[in-house]
Formats: sequence, structure tokens, C-alpha cells
Amino acid sequence: MRERLYVNTFWAGVSIVLLLVAWHLLALLLNKEALPGPLPSFAAFFRELPGELWGHFWISGYRVATSLLISLVLAVPCGMIMGREEKVDRLAAPMIYVIYPVPKIVFLPVLMALLGLGDVSKIALITLVVFFQILVPIRDASRSINPAVVNSIRSLGAGRWHLYKHVVWPAVLPEMLTALRIASGTAIAILFISETISSQEGLGYFLLDAWSRYSYHDMFAGIIALSLLGFVIYMALDGLERYLCPWKFV
Amino acid sequence: MHDNMMLEIEGLSVGYRQPKGEVPALRDVSFSVPRGGTCALIGPSGCGKSTLLYVLSGLLKQFGGQVMVEGAPVAPLRRQTALILQDYGLLPWKKVSDNVALGLEIRGVAKDEQTERIRRVLTEVGLWEMRDRFPSQLSGGQRQRTGIARALALEPDLLLMDEPFSSLDALTREHLQGLLLDIWNSKRITVLLVTHSIEEAIFLGQKIVVLSGHPGQVIDVVENPRVGQKGYRKTTEYHILTSQLRDKLEQVGDGS
Ligand SMILES: Nc1ncnc2c1ncn2[C@@H]1O[C@H](COP(=O)(O)OP(=O)(O)OP(=O)(O)O)[C@@H](O)[C@H]1O
Ligand SMILES: [Mg+2]
Repeated sequence: MRERLYVNTFWAGVSIVLLLVAWHLLALLLNKEALPGPLPSFAAFFRELPGELWGHFWISGYRVATSLLISLVLAVPCGMIMGREEKVDRLAAPMIYVIYPVPKIVFLPVLMALLGLGDVSKIALITLVVFFQILVPIRDASRSINPAVVNSIRSLGAGRWHLYKHVVWPAVLPEMLTALRIASGTAIAILFISETISSQEGLGYFLLDAWSRYSYHDMFAGIIALSLLGFVIYMALDGLERYLCPWKFV
Repeated sequence: MHDNMMLEIEGLSVGYRQPKGEVPALRDVSFSVPRGGTCALIGPSGCGKSTLLYVLSGLLKQFGGQVMVEGAPVAPLRRQTALILQDYGLLPWKKVSDNVALGLEIRGVAKDEQTERIRRVLTEVGLWEMRDRFPSQLSGGQRQRTGIARALALEPDLLLMDEPFSSLDALTREHLQGLLLDIWNSKRITVLLVTHSIEEAIFLGQKIVVLSGHPGQVIDVVENPRVGQKGYRKTTEYHILTSQLRDKLEQVGDGS
């Protein structure tokens, strides 16, 4: 187990070094001010981090994490119920499928008008996007639970509540984590856009500001911070999966 | 006179509703199983054996005819009835001991009593050492034993089994058949077992109900009183019965 951890860490290191080398070579090859190499970018990153950048990183992280959490709390129960209760599904599914394909970013002006320009409207927008990205796969997973499993548990005397607790919830957990992984990428993209529009805080603002100052080093410091944010979320989800789904790691 | 009957099935018919109309699965099935007896149900694939178990366990409520369990109409989720399905019974996310505890937890048995019973039944099926494993870490035979343990934990008086040993290799299967006989000998649980295997039906069923296919109808009920006697598999009676039963099933034709 421990050995595997070392091996995994080793290959993760190799992979990142390769990425940095490729970036370095590309920057050398193009030799443009707009694409600085990893060395000046990281220098800028560590220069900015103790000052402004850390605060922006923190607020962006807070916005994404809160949105993911709220979406999860709303979408998982809804998805589980829609997957199991045909009547609810018949009513709710058409609504979902009408709203699902609309790019939610179009609601940003509405949300800003209703909820202001601060954190709340941004969190609401990300939640709106991520909610559907979690809801749909959870509903499908909950619907496709093997009826034989359900029957065998019902034969033990399980009612609705037991069925949700012992069968549906654990059965959708892996699906939930996969959906979250995919959604976290989307969430960061939406976060970025929302932070570039009338905002004074967050990595999106930091990036746009750097761009407007033609400070490409700072811009890439911001990009590094964004990818770091994604990486932290990804690691957290990995840890969560180990904790919630121990049966998948035996 | 019916007092000693555990199962009495009279004129049972079941149909499944399909878009194109009702598909009959069982027609006019009648037989009975005495309390503490064993019964094997054999017939071609698709003849309605699993359907019959669903009716007896109370999961399938739409049927015609009369089904009595212990003298009372079959009730959904009768507490002393345990059902073991072929492959699907165990929850992959629960450890062996939690899988076995599931029925007890659902029925609200106190924690102390749960622990006690789990230890007893897992020891009985020889899986106490494996209690902290997940089902994916068990062999097929061990999984099936876990299923049996989960059923036994309910302290049932009626055990319904749907092809419990069919996916196992010959040695493991014989071992588990022996285990089932031991359990039956010591507890006298009424056992109804669905099987594809003629040998298994004769080894385990005091009464062997032969079904024909599409829709399932009883074509014969064979009495087989020597079940459970030592060395039954090696007697001539066992072999004669095997070939008789094979003849009967060949007449029906295996629908699979
Ligand atoms: N949920 C269902 N809906 C419609 N038809 C069904 C359903 N379940 C079973 N049937 C049909 O009812 C008949 C009996 O099925 P059943 O599963 O009881 O057969 P079986 O004897 O257990 O077969 P096998 O030996 O292959 O397990 C089959 O023809 C099957 O197609
Ligand atoms: Mg079957």
C-alpha cells in the first residue's frame, strides 16, 4: 500500500516535469512575450503569492468549494429520488431536459441584478451549472440499480428509507464523485468568467488585471494558481473517494 | 390435517404485463411442502421458477389462486421467511459482517443481539475469519455462504433459495449442499430450492416438483424420502431416480 503511494507520487512528479519541459520548449520556440516560459512564470507566482495572489486564490477557492458543496447537497437527493420514483421523474425530467442544455452563463446578468455583484451571484451561477451536471448522472445511476439487488434487500423487509440508505446512496456514490470531478473543471471555467465581469476579487480578476497591464508574467502566475486550484480540488475528491468508497480500493 | 403444512399452493397462476398483453408465467400450479421438509423445484429455463419464489416471499403480490404459508395467506415480508437469490444478494459496499447484519438492522434487532447472531451464523458457515472482507474479496462459494449466513441470521422457518449453487464448481457445490443439509438436519427449517441440476434436486429435495415450460405447469411431483441419509449419493435408488427424472425433463424439453 505504502509502496504504491511512493510509485504513484513518483510518476505524478515525472508527469509534471514533462509538462513543464514541454512548456519551456514551446516558449523557447515561439519566443513571444505573450508566452513566458515556466521559469519567469513561477518566479512571478512566488513573488505575488505572499501578497495579492494568495487572497485571490483563497476567495476563488472559497467560491468554487461552496458552489460544489451546495450543488451536491441539492442534486444528490433529487437525483436519487428521480431515479427511483417514477411519478416524480415523469414530472421533473422534462423540466430538467429543457433547462439542461441552456448555457447557464446567460443567467449571469439576471443573477447579478437579483443577488448583487458579490460572492452570492457568482456562487449561484456556478451552483446552477454544477447542479445539473451532478443531477443527471446521479439520476441515471439510481435508475439503473440492478432490480435483483433491490428485490433481495426488500425481501429482508426493507422499506423505502432502508432502500435509500443501504442501496441507492452507496450505489450512486462512485457516480457522484466522477460527476464532481468533471463538474469541478466546469466550475472553475464558470468561476473565471464570472470573476472577469465587474469584480475586484478572485483569480479571474487577477488574470484580467494582469492582462490589461500587459504583465504576462503575472498572468501566467494567475494561470498557475488556477491549475493549482483545480489540482487541490482533484486531490480532495480522491481523498473523499477513499474515505467514502473503501470497497473500491481493496 | 393441514396443520403440519408449511406451504400450500392451490391453483397459482401468474402473468407478467407486457406492452403486447399479458404473458403467462405460471398456470394452475398446486403443491404443498410439509413443515420441516425440503422441496426442490426443477424445470426448463424460463418456466417460472423464480417467479414462484417471488410470490412465496411476498415480493410479487399480483397472482391468481391461493398461497398459504403456515396456514395463513402469504403476507408481504413475513419475518420468518428468508430468500436467497443467485448472485445478487450481497451489497458490494458492505463488509461480510455488515451484509449478514443487514436483515437484522432492517428489522430493528438490538445491536448486542445482532453481534451475537452474526458471530454464530458466520461461525456456522465457516466465515468468521472473513468477516471484515468485502464481497469482491471472496470466492464464489464464500459469497454464497455469506448469503446463507445472512438468511440464517434471520432465524427463519422457511428458506427460499433460487439456484443457490449453480455458478459454483462441482467440489464447492457438493460442499455447500452438504452444509445446507447439515443446517436443515439441525434446525429443521423448511427449504424450497430452485435448481437446474437433477443431481441437486435428488440430493436435497424430499419432494421434487417438476415444471414444464411456457407457462409453467406442474407435470409431476416425485417423493424422495431418503434425502439426508448418509451416503445417499452412492445408492442405487439415487441413480435410478436420477435417470427417471432425466427422462421426465427430456420429455418437457429444456427451453433454454
Ligand atoms: N419482470 C418481468 N416482466 C415480464 N416478463 C417476465 C418478468 N420476469 C420474468 N418474466 C417472464 O416470465 C417467465 C418466467 O420467468 P422466471 O424468471 O420465473 O423463469 P425461471 O424458471 O426462473 O428461469 P431460469 O431458470 O432461467 O432462471 C419467463 O418467460 C420470463 O420471460
Ligand atoms: Mg430463475
